[in-house]
Amino acid sequence: MKTLHPITSLVYFTALIGFAFVFMHPVSLGISLLGALSFILMLEKSRALRFMLTFLLPLFILAAAANLLFSRQGVTILAYLPSGNPLTLESTLFGIAQAAMLASVITWFRGFNLVMTSDKLVYLFGRAAPALALLLSMSLRFVPRFTRQMQAIAAAQRGIGKDVTQGNVLQRARHGLKILSITVTWALENAVETAGSMRARGYGLPGRTAFAIFRWTTRDTLVLAFVLSCAAVIISGAAFGGLQAIYFAEISLAWQPLSYALFAVQVVLIGVAVFSVAPRAFLYFCHAKARKSHARGVPAPSRGRS
Amino acid sequence: MLNIRNFSFTYPGREKPALDNINLAVQPGEFIVVCGSSGSGKTTLLRQLKPAMAPHGTAAGEIHYHGQPLSELDAHTAAADIGFVQQCPENQIVTDSVWHELAFGLESLGEPTQVIRLRVAEMAAFFGIEPWFHHRTAELSGGQKQLLNLASIMAMQPQILLLDEPTSQLDPIAAAEFLGTVAKLNRDLGITVILTEHRLEEAFAHASRAIVMDGGRVICDGEPRVVGKILYDMNHPMHLAMPTPMRLFGDCLTVSEARTRLASQCVMRNAQCVIDPPPTQSKAVLNMKNVWFRYEKNSSDVLRGMDFTAHAGEITAILGGNGAGKSTALSVMLGLHRPQRGKITSAPNHKISAVPQNPQSLFIGKTVQEDLREVVAPSVTLRVPAPPQAGEPISINSIAEIAQLCKLESLLQSHPYDLSGGEQQRLALAKALLTRPKILLLDEPTKGLDAQFKQQLAGILHKLVKQGTAIVLVSHDIEFCAQHAHTCALMFDGQIITQAPARAFFAGNSFYTTAANRIARWAVTCEDLCSFFEKKEPKKL
Repeated sequence: MKTLHPITSLVYFTALIGFAFVFMHPVSLGISLLGALSFILMLEKSRALRFMLTFLLPLFILAAAANLLFSRQGVTILAYLPSGNPLTLESTLFGIAQAAMLASVITWFRGFNLVMTSDKLVYLFGRAAPALALLLSMSLRFVPRFTRQMQAIAAAQRGIGKDVTQGNVLQRARHGLKILSITVTWALENAVETAGSMRARGYGLPGRTAFAIFRWTTRDTLVLAFVLSCAAVIISGAAFGGLQAIYFAEISLAWQPLSYALFAVQVVLIGVAVFSVAPRAFLYFCHAKARKSHARGVPAPSRGRS
Repeated sequence: MLNIRNFSFTYPGREKPALDNINLAVQPGEFIVVCGSSGSGKTTLLRQLKPAMAPHGTAAGEIHYHGQPLSELDAHTAAADIGFVQQCPENQIVTDSVWHELAFGLESLGEPTQVIRLRVAEMAAFFGIEPWFHHRTAELSGGQKQLLNLASIMAMQPQILLLDEPTSQLDPIAAAEFLGTVAKLNRDLGITVILTEHRLEEAFAHASRAIVMDGGRVICDGEPRVVGKILYDMNHPMHLAMPTPMRLFGDCLTVSEARTRLASQCVMRNAQCVIDPPPTQSKAVLNMKNVWFRYEKNSSDVLRGMDFTAHAGEITAILGGNGAGKSTALSVMLGLHRPQRGKITSAPNHKISAVPQNPQSLFIGKTVQEDLREVVAPSVTLRVPAPPQAGEPISINSIAEIAQLCKLESLLQSHPYDLSGGEQQRLALAKALLTRPKILLLDEPTKGLDAQFKQQLAGILHKLVKQGTAIVLVSHDIEFCAQHAHTCALMFDGQIITQAPARAFFAGNSFYTTAANRIARWAVTCEDLCSFFEKKEPKKL
């Protein structure tokens, strides 16, 4: 996924996030959530685990509970809450389904962020407007520099015994403003030099082109065709009711042969995404060049991030 | 290739021309070093050669590029053919990623993607950028940044390369690497190079021609050796800025040449270095004992059991390579960071102040005067009486006094950012001094300064030391430390390996030592050698 062309990645993620958002069938949700979690686990390892435990799990419980407490729909009453509201089977299940949907969409977005680095985003913007791409790229350079300079100035002030974090609110605010103001001056001052460097390299000449290091490869064509055909099957199958899930007033879920076929397609679509970020051994399996070197008896590739 | 005829240039609102009747002809494939003190007009000259960088002002005379007036050159050729690298590595980088930066100029020229892809690949390979090709530009070191600037200019395939003090912000190793790359471009590709520089040791070794400027005029022009000899015979002030071998013999370029020459001239080969008796040690005011420090819990140790002592009334220099932890050591002494283990003690009532590596980060005010007042009266605008300071009272008088000490009187109304590098360093020093520190920490105080400004700085430091201040400075500038520091310490791998009086320190090292000591083991500073010659044989004129 990381080595794909940005457009391919974008289409892939649109499909993954869109399907996670639209289909409320418990099996679809399960596939999507499991897929999303293993996707970020492959990419981030222990950090993903921390994200799941400290953020995703509480969110899941909260979302499910909120629905339970406030929804009065459904016909199968399990119990009565202290508030007098009936607790129904339907709203319980719907709450869990919604929480799962939320969690999987958020997790896929995290995956999107990990894969789509600023380079790729800039490129995608640049397709629409090259000037915008340059602006974005320059801002991405400018913002961290600006904050770093502010920190450097604050540290330098501490170095001559003027701690900007001390004093009353007014004094601190005044110090903060001073530092902000001089950092703006500093930025403008440096911008003159940067502008000089841009002019020296011919910025402003007519007919500027936009370069990107991303290349469209056969792999991109294949992956794109794969994603689009999976999406076409899923969407048309869903149009025939293959993924229908009705929670209220009574639960009615689609369990036809078509549904099973669609689940299988979803598993394949998401599975490929997960395998693409899995340890390298998997990638070699699908890569033609690697297959050749395998045939020549190259030792098994070391496990690492793809 | 380039032909400058009777060229003069005056900045708007100035009487005196910045360039005065310059006549130069540049042949293809030359490697020219332009030297001169700050304000001698070398940067102005360089900028005139690149139409997009030329400052505003009135110009007279002509500059021709391949027989065509430079002003009539079409914008496309002017952008591609004449490459310009500026002083500050950081400010020249436009985009956020290395590959995009390399492509920037080619994008401007309107090259198609296929061409750009090839050129970018060529540049990455030639300059050894591949390992960090996909990095963010913010993650690069100063040396890498400047190399990237050079590579992104070279991607446009210029005929002539103008470099304006490109190594002044780099440490010696990165600077040598950068100049080596420039020399390789000149040697292997025949690119014409015009370079302005303060540190001439490396530059002269590569140059085919040197031009010395003074007061907007060219005073010397020729092969580096010839120029060295002329300056030597003229006894010109710029002679002091020359590399040590050249200061000794005029037409010597390298240490080994100077050694041979010395051996043929005198018989003092076995003489020992005269080491002054250790001075009666004054009171230790700052003491570090077995200090361990790391920035984050999981990062590696930067300081690994550092022991260090600074004495009142002494300049102590900490030398060492990149990443040895020198700057970190200063910030720990200052108390900006708390060490995980070990003890730092400073004498009671000894205030510590520091001047950071980039003096600009110390400035807050809109004028020099306002900036200095800011230090002494932080609550003036709040209409609250300033709290009484401990020790000596700080008054407006002390501003005048310190401005005088740091030679800032004529600059009080300028904006701090408009000052030259040396003046900025002195203003930063003045700000730190206004807090009346007993211990003064300086991080790379000579970075980017020319010989004259270094002398002025040294003068101020010696005055302070006489008043009993302890000065600790961190530096790469071996020659400066040898000449002015009382005690030198070598830092390596987060520890102080050795700490000794300056002369003994350098006399004991064989690699990490001054050029003068490498020429003759019995000398440490260039002055030792010069005074020896003056005593032995009067200078032949």
